[in-house]
Amino acid sequence: MNRSKLAVTGLIGAAMAAGIAGSAVADDEVFIGGALSLTGIQAPLDEPGLRGAQVAVQALNDGGGVLGMPVRFVNLDGMSDPVTVGNDAITLIDDGAQLIVAPCDFDFGGPASREAQEAGLVGISTCASDPLYSSWSLGDKQFTLSMWNTTMGAAAAEYAFGERGWTTAYVVTDQFIAYTKSLSRYFLAHFEAIGGTILGEDTYTQGDQDFSAQLARLRALDPQPDVIFISSYMPDLGTIIRSIREVGITTPIMGGDSYDDPGLFDALGAEFGNDIYFITHTWMGAGAAPEMENFITLYTDMYGEAPDTAFVATGWDTIMLMAQAVEIAGSTDGAAVAEALETNEFELLTGTLSYSSAEDGHAPNKSAALVELQGGEPSFLGWRRPENPPAP
Amino acid sequence: MGQVIQFAIDVLSLGSLYALMALGLVIVYGILRLVNFAYGELIMVAGYTLYLLDGTALPWLAMAAVAIVMAMVFGVLTEYVAFRPVRMKSVTAVLITSFAFSTLLQHAALLFISPRSRLVPTPALFTRTVEIAGVVVPLRNLLTIAAAVAVLALFTFLLRRTVLGIALRAAASQFRMTRMLGVPANLVITSAFAISGLLAGVVSLFWLGRIGSVVPGIGLEPLLVAFIATVIGGMRSLPGAVVGGYLLALIDVSLNTALPQALLQFRDAFTFSLVIVLLLWRPQGLIRGPATGQRT
Repeated sequence: MNRSKLAVTGLIGAAMAAGIAGSAVADDEVFIGGALSLTGIQAPLDEPGLRGAQVAVQALNDGGGVLGMPVRFVNLDGMSDPVTVGNDAITLIDDGAQLIVAPCDFDFGGPASREAQEAGLVGISTCASDPLYSSWSLGDKQFTLSMWNTTMGAAAAEYAFGERGWTTAYVVTDQFIAYTKSLSRYFLAHFEAIGGTILGEDTYTQGDQDFSAQLARLRALDPQPDVIFISSYMPDLGTIIRSIREVGITTPIMGGDSYDDPGLFDALGAEFGNDIYFITHTWMGAGAAPEMENFITLYTDMYGEAPDTAFVATGWDTIMLMAQAVEIAGSTDGAAVAEALETNEFELLTGTLSYSSAEDGHAPNKSAALVELQGGEPSFLGWRRPENPPAP
Repeated sequence: MGQVIQFAIDVLSLGSLYALMALGLVIVYGILRLVNFAYGELIMVAGYTLYLLDGTALPWLAMAAVAIVMAMVFGVLTEYVAFRPVRMKSVTAVLITSFAFSTLLQHAALLFISPRSRLVPTPALFTRTVEIAGVVVPLRNLLTIAAAVAVLALFTFLLRRTVLGIALRAAASQFRMTRMLGVPANLVITSAFAISGLLAGVVSLFWLGRIGSVVPGIGLEPLLVAFIATVIGGMRSLPGAVVGGYLLALIDVSLNTALPQALLQFRDAFTFSLVIVLLLWRPQGLIRGPATGQRT
């Protein structure tokens, strides 16, 4: 967008904002805009995040707001469509948003951060984990709350090889988005770097709902792998794991945060939901983080049910991270908030978080939560921090 | 030998689902010359029916029957809401209304149930396996093939031996003439939508049985598959839809099996190139439908 166009949209935005009963006057509130997707393939990751974010906004306002001002949070459905996500961000910024919450993925969330960057605002993705979600590609005011896939993949590799002694692995990669592709790549790189052997790789296409050809190749392997690493997305992830388990293959299966969906646990059930290990953001229960119990109480008060996936915590954390950074910076100015994020350490539900400088990509320094699925029921195995995750 | 059997069963079971999906789309297209873009949502409706019935005392077969009936009801509803009011006026309007109805159903599922996936109950039989010549095959795949054969046989009988079937075939060929001969047009069209719903319902049992869960957007892939299969087989031919479905499954599974890893991520490009070549060779699709009449 060139400058005159920006000025025009700015003017229109200002006029519109003034029209809405002066609701967007910037100096008596902190306005956070979100473009999280409530519809489409991204919804399973974004919708819980939005719920968590709403709990956080309520908690902040009950506690006196940020910088003494109330927090207003408006989310426009990103519809799992990068173009819509970008347009949502433009609308919100025009309405006076001072901070932007971007969807939980590079492909779907990146456009919101690009718009935030262009407007000089800080944008934080709730849980995009592809290292493309960095200041290198999106700009010096953009961050992601999640660990990068470098950490996620390496943590999985170290658990498999180091803790369980699984020396051979088979990797299935869904060619869906940057997330699914890079997660496999970093698992593979780290597994080999620490001494493991990759017996083979296979490719899957999201939406196929047919794993038969890949399954035939997997069964033809001799010897069979010690562990199967699958990087895919729901709902096809359920199909893949079911197809493997159905024919009697009981080899342990590992993956990333896309496994953290009660829908998957249900789809696998007690029969197929065994020996599955995945890396995710946190654990929604005792022992994961100091604030967790408080959060679960607040969440249950608001929604009448306990949170069932770690993605709700990413929404809460994103808002709380913004609030803390704004308090430190003393304003919502993009450069000041970005600096506060770069130079401080934050205690969150998803662990302790600090960022590298903008030159180093805003790499998140974070631990990974390891969860096990047995009999269709998840349980927390603890936090892991890989020694030397591969370079992005 | 084992690999050949495995391959054959994979192709046949996937092809059976594709064929039934395509048939459900083409039965409406054949008469109205209009693609029902809300067709995929019938599978979603059946899926959510199963989800909602899960936990009730009903045995699975009863749940499945209710799910199929619901798919039929929504098939007919599609006709009443999206097609009938505008069908005579404008083709473009029907295109939009059927998309709108599809979006409406998806958003209803989003709002009233959840954007996240929900469990679809499957019978224990679905997850059993049998061994054929040393190959472990999920019983569900064999059941899929059997169900498709049964439905196709029933469907053939219906079309060839019953008054309704003859009326449907006549309407597909010369709709105006059929009406002049006293066949009630709306009844024929509504029946076509009901049959389309029935096929979608049967497909949903096995398609969702593979996945184990249902999400609001679950209907997109089946719609796409059905559309491509009918284009290959011939947009207006019922046998063509079946042939197209099996052929598409053969192409997909063969490419999945034969392509080297580096090329596998471009599989769809290969599939569609083959489809284009096929269409260049036979622009009407593999099997020509009945002589074209006027659009109704």
